[in-house]
Amino acid sequence: MSGGPPKGLPSTGPHSLLDMPHPLAGSSSEEAVGGDSTPSPDLLMARSFGDKDLILPNGGTPAGTSSPASSSSLLNRLQLDDDIDGETRDLFVTVDDPKKHVCTMETYITYRITTKSTRVEFDLPEYSVRRRYQDFDWLRNKLEESQPTHLIPPLPEKFVVKGVVDRFSEEFVETRRKALDKFLKRITDHPVLSFNEHFNVFLTAKDLNAYKKQGMALLTRVGESVKHVTGGYKLRSRPLEFAAVGDYLDTFALKLGTIDRIAQRIIKEEIEYLVELREYGPVYSTWSALEGELTEPLEGVSACIGNCSTALEELTDDMTEDFLPVLREYILYSDSMKSVLKKRDQVQAEYEAKLEAVALRKEDRPKVPADVERCQDRMECFNADLKADMERWQNNKRQDFRQLLVGMADKNIQYYEKCLMAWESIIPLLQEKQEAK
Amino acid sequence: MTENNFWLKKIEISVSEAEKRTGRNAMNMQETYTAYLIETRSVEHTDGQSVLTDSLWRRYSEFELLRNYLLVYYPHIVVPPLPEKRAEFVWHKLSADNMDPDFVERRRIGLENFLLRVASHPILCRDKIFYLFLTQEGNWKETVNETGFQLKADSRLKALNATFRVKNPDKRFTELKHYSDELQSVISHLLRVRARVADRLYGVYKVHGNYGRVFSEWSAIEKEMGDGLQSAGHHMDVYASSIDDILEDEEHYADQLKEYLFYAEALRAVCRKHELMQYDLEMAAQDLASKKQQCEELATGTVRTFSLKGMTTKLFGQETPEQREARIKVLEEQISEGEQQLKSKNLEGREFVKNAWADIERFKEQKNHDLKEALISYAVMQISMCKKGIQVWTNAKECFSKM
Repeated sequence: MSGGPPKGLPSTGPHSLLDMPHPLAGSSSEEAVGGDSTPSPDLLMARSFGDKDLILPNGGTPAGTSSPASSSSLLNRLQLDDDIDGETRDLFVTVDDPKKHVCTMETYITYRITTKSTRVEFDLPEYSVRRRYQDFDWLRNKLEESQPTHLIPPLPEKFVVKGVVDRFSEEFVETRRKALDKFLKRITDHPVLSFNEHFNVFLTAKDLNAYKKQGMALLTRVGESVKHVTGGYKLRSRPLEFAAVGDYLDTFALKLGTIDRIAQRIIKEEIEYLVELREYGPVYSTWSALEGELTEPLEGVSACIGNCSTALEELTDDMTEDFLPVLREYILYSDSMKSVLKKRDQVQAEYEAKLEAVALRKEDRPKVPADVERCQDRMECFNADLKADMERWQNNKRQDFRQLLVGMADKNIQYYEKCLMAWESIIPLLQEKQEAK
Repeated sequence: MTENNFWLKKIEISVSEAEKRTGRNAMNMQETYTAYLIETRSVEHTDGQSVLTDSLWRRYSEFELLRNYLLVYYPHIVVPPLPEKRAEFVWHKLSADNMDPDFVERRRIGLENFLLRVASHPILCRDKIFYLFLTQEGNWKETVNETGFQLKADSRLKALNATFRVKNPDKRFTELKHYSDELQSVISHLLRVRARVADRLYGVYKVHGNYGRVFSEWSAIEKEMGDGLQSAGHHMDVYASSIDDILEDEEHYADQLKEYLFYAEALRAVCRKHELMQYDLEMAAQDLASKKQQCEELATGTVRTFSLKGMTTKLFGQETPEQREARIKVLEEQISEGEQQLKSKNLEGREFVKNAWADIERFKEQKNHDLKEALISYAVMQISMCKKGIQVWTNAKECFSKM
């Protein structure tokens, strides 16, 4: 990439991101994207200019990154989208760097949100802001309000109900960070939600609180919240794609709940096993102190059991931190799905009610009144949005669970491999012939 | 086959079967017990083939009788222990019932091991009662009892007394006694914790079986994910059921440890015998010394030691010179007898120490060898368990990745 005179605003044809000058930058294109680049040739970046065709730069080197976490998280994002053919990314969001803030009134954690994008909607190609859980909660509510026809990804639970978990412990914060990262990535991946105004503000605004206070001044496609139909109007029939989903989700949530309980039980049993192992190993040490020729073999066995104990502890920690939270998230996710389905049902019910009311009033035939038409539109939009979201959800679910379960198998394999290594290494020690004393 | 050439040929002993029987006990009450078939084979030198020479049934109590006899007649030998009378150190899946087939099986192996140990001991193997145990089914109990060994046994009380009062036991035996106490304590502890470890491990494996069921149920509502889930669930079932064999093998290791737990008791018995003999010796020496002193006092007329005779003399008047002479004579006789006894006791004691220590050295080597082997086989079991675990989870991982 050559450094040349700053080009005009990106609308004059295909450019690689590197060519695109930073509005505040000097002349060279390297400066445009920040100082320390850590290029990884595998990453391809494309820019998108609204509805222009996406063109990939040849052998493009990606934009340098000024934060160390980025290249791996970029890779992560690509892995997520493995299956999606032809789609290329133009928005990258990461959650990292949790920090504790101690104020007079309260103590809380903030996370750094890093955004990189070539979209027009973003003034700058890169943003870095700090947000706390409250802000995520606000975002989610806003998204639900403004995009009621879409499935909004779940947030990790607000309060920790079970057990005595320290809100500020490293493990808890890390688990939460991963979940928040996932949350934002799911929104990023969504073709409609990722363009949402509130999302944009969340990612970019220096002072989010000020914006929050402004209120809901923005109009969106489906502005009014879906009214709840009272009077229990029954649906005639659901469209095919939604009919079975309700039952599926019920069974799905049940099975996930069972798996969660099994996983917890396994962890509990493993921890109790660990407690016994931690007493078992040292007894061999005690014995070895009594002996002469058997001292080293017994001490070796003691150390071996110690190693296995450590490996087991690592396994249980991993399962607690990585496996359980993802399971729980999916239970929340299917709950969200169910409530959106309900809303859709209500919209359909409203439409059908109106239709029936019109049919009874003979004067308005054959012309269908405007408000009924609007209702029908709303219903059809909802159906289309939801159908797309459901497909996306199914795909993601499959990928996520594949990853989750493969990960679980991997962790167990690693545990056994560590133990195997420990035991194999003491066989020669045990077989050693002692020198005559 | 006569007793003499019994030991010239190489023999194989096996406890090949166990059978439940009912009979009447000493109080004419019906009881159920297990009888064990002992088969003895002699191996022909020429062609290596073995010929069954003796086969008879014995029950556990007869083994106990044999062992008690050996303990009395060979106090300087570390006599091999019997397998436990009642199941101890059990974890929850293991039965504590003596009639339980697994317990009976492990006991059968333990009894065979006992006989092999006795047969391979250079001194014990020549014992006639042992020979008869293997060859004479009827009347054996009577034969043993006729030896009167129960009468020869040292009383527990006597032994305890000796332990507390002995002044100069051989230091090696004191150390050995201390060692056997510690060994007993540490192996007990080990076996207890191992049983708890086995319990917990069992729990971990079995809970995974639930995955099998729920994956199967879940796969029923899925389209593309279904197959992968279903087959992974099958592997979880395999994993859960693999623990039964694993822990059964581990019981063998526990039995090897138990043998040495009980051997510690046998070691202690030898130490106790030494203490008893030493105490006996010290008492005899003390007695002799006191008699000599008495004699001297009578001869010289000085009274330094208190004696009843001295008191009565004071009270009732001096005894006549004839009486005194008579007493001196008696004492001198006793002294001479005492000196003989002391000499022979000393000799006995030294012989005992020599022979006992020789057997203890033999035992130490056996112990070090056996326990090393046990640890190796334990490590091999663990390795096998790890490999199985890796195999199952790798299979499951493949299924998951096809989801």
